Amino acid sequence: MMTPRPILSALRRHKIAAFLIVLEIALAFAIVSNAVYLVMGRLQRMDIHSGIDERDLVTLQISSSGNAGVPSAEADLAALRTIPGVQSASAVNSLPFTNSSWNSDFTKTPGQDATGYPATIYLGSRDLLPTLGVKILAGRGFSSDQYTDLTPATMLSAFFKPTQVIVSKAYAEQLWPGGNAVGKLLYVDKSQGQIVGVMSNIVRPQLSDSGTDPSNFYAVVLPFRVGPDLDASYVLRAAPAARERVLKAAVTKLQAMHPTQTVTKQATLSQMRREYFANDRAMAWLLVSTILALLGVTAIGIVGLASFWVQQRTRQIGVRRALGARRRDILRYFQTENFLLATAGIALGCAAAIGINVWLMAHYAVPRLPIIYLPIGAVALWLLGQLAVLGPALRAARVAPTVAMRAA
Amino acid sequence: MLEMREVSKVYRTETVETHALRGFSLKVDEGEFVAVTGPSGSGKTTFLTIAGLLEDFTRGEYLLDHVNVHGMNDNQRSRLRNEKIGFVFQAFNLIPDLNVLDNVEVPLHYRHMSGGERRKRALAALERVGLSARLKHYPAELSGGQQQRVAIARALAGGPRLLLADEPTGNLDTAMARGVMELIEEIHREGATIIMVTHDPELAARAQRNVHIVDGMATGVSEEPRFHPGLRERTAGDVSLPRS
Repeated sequence: MMTPRPILSALRRHKIAAFLIVLEIALAFAIVSNAVYLVMGRLQRMDIHSGIDERDLVTLQISSSGNAGVPSAEADLAALRTIPGVQSASAVNSLPFTNSSWNSDFTKTPGQDATGYPATIYLGSRDLLPTLGVKILAGRGFSSDQYTDLTPATMLSAFFKPTQVIVSKAYAEQLWPGGNAVGKLLYVDKSQGQIVGVMSNIVRPQLSDSGTDPSNFYAVVLPFRVGPDLDASYVLRAAPAARERVLKAAVTKLQAMHPTQTVTKQATLSQMRREYFANDRAMAWLLVSTILALLGVTAIGIVGLASFWVQQRTRQIGVRRALGARRRDILRYFQTENFLLATAGIALGCAAAIGINVWLMAHYAVPRLPIIYLPIGAVALWLLGQLAVLGPALRAARVAPTVAMRAA
Repeated sequence: MLEMREVSKVYRTETVETHALRGFSLKVDEGEFVAVTGPSGSGKTTFLTIAGLLEDFTRGEYLLDHVNVHGMNDNQRSRLRNEKIGFVFQAFNLIPDLNVLDNVEVPLHYRHMSGGERRKRALAALERVGLSARLKHYPAELSGGQQQRVAIARALAGGPRLLLADEPTGNLDTAMARGVMELIEEIHREGATIIMVTHDPELAARAQRNVHIVDGMATGVSEEPRFHPGLRERTAGDVSLPRS
């Protein structure tokens, strides 16, 4: 490393060019560090583990209206279970990776004034949890005789009767941290439910912006059977590698059973996940493109300025060589100069990055930028600078000392 | 101090071969002040670039302070150049972005010298050329004569064994040229070995010995050597004439 003082002295004589490159590096640092953080957030969200065994699950939905009246979920499920390759089938009011869900604020004490903890309510039929691959971790599941049918007509009254509840592990931890939730009571206003079991986590249909938010897994299951009249879907677990065939056969079977009604939805869970995160994926790509473009422009700026300075200082480089500088001394001069400019840019960029993050927090509910992104960004910008300056610096190092002898 | 034996330098392109030096021989003893003269294109500058280790030669032998420099790699030549040679250029060649003090320190940076030692040497050299009051000035703020004095201070700061001057007064008016020449003579009187390339016969006459180059060959000693007071007497005839 060269002594920085004479390099700084020389830079002071080229204030505007030096300031512009520092500004470019600062802007790149500030925007890139925030953009990388946003990309990481999107990737984390897209990578969320749903808590269900998605691979061999398919779902389909039939319209609730038609000339033949509302189809019976039990009859449909019985028929669907006869399809070769179907291992399990259940109705379900909503599934992960959809934009429709039933949610309620449950409280630990009765009454409207109690503190509520929002959770998603999953309803279906007896086979819902095994079909989804969700396990009971403590307590027990519901027995067949505990299920009651839920229809639009009975929905309100059904919810006001005492019932039983299975809660997700994350929700149990939220309500009774470190304690045993089994046997405890939950309320919606004055309606009471007793927790009979704790299940493995299942993700809520609508995720929060952060993939690591524990509230993504606040869920309860109630022992109500739902059908197409409540816009329920059917979810089928297929034998490995049979899901496409099973889905096709299930659609054919339902259409045969209800010729006047329409299958309104058919998809594998993998497709649903892909579609659900399409916007996140597009945003991530957009941000990645922006990051690459910014870094590219910054690198071009550094190459441009360094090349200009090498050309402008050719004689000076020759003189330094004549006075005893080795090629590597010239190389280091330009590398050190770039390091100093990048350091100034990074210092300015740190302040700007925090400023941008504060603005994003205020206007777009973006979480606070973790401090670790700043040193990582700094190293990236230093490396980019060194890489960008290498070409011009190598050209400078090749300047012959005889250049000093040429007439000025 | 410097001994060249039958040194040749040939520049080759795809179509042209230019013989810049042809069997050039010269011996300069320690403490000598030699002027190298000759018309434009005669090979004066080529001689200086080879003597200053700025480029290699094609054939022959060159001993600098008893070290054979032929075949040295770039790093070795740079190091030897930095430690043993001081350059004074016609165009001064100061770095415009650095002040006087920083300019004088430039060659010392390449010796891994401590900051304090660099500063001490640079200040002493500037004191020597009478520019102690201009440390923070930039080259553009100095007259030509002052710039050349800074260049001389830069050349002296490293304590070189040999001072090579290329037309040191070529860019100066008469008054400034006289001042710079007096400084060079003073440095010589203090014991420095100096080789000065010039096309000015008047300046050449102030050296102890003149070597005239024509077509890359030393054609002879233009006059009898003179001796500055305080220098030991030495024998003439150190210029080897090329065989014709």
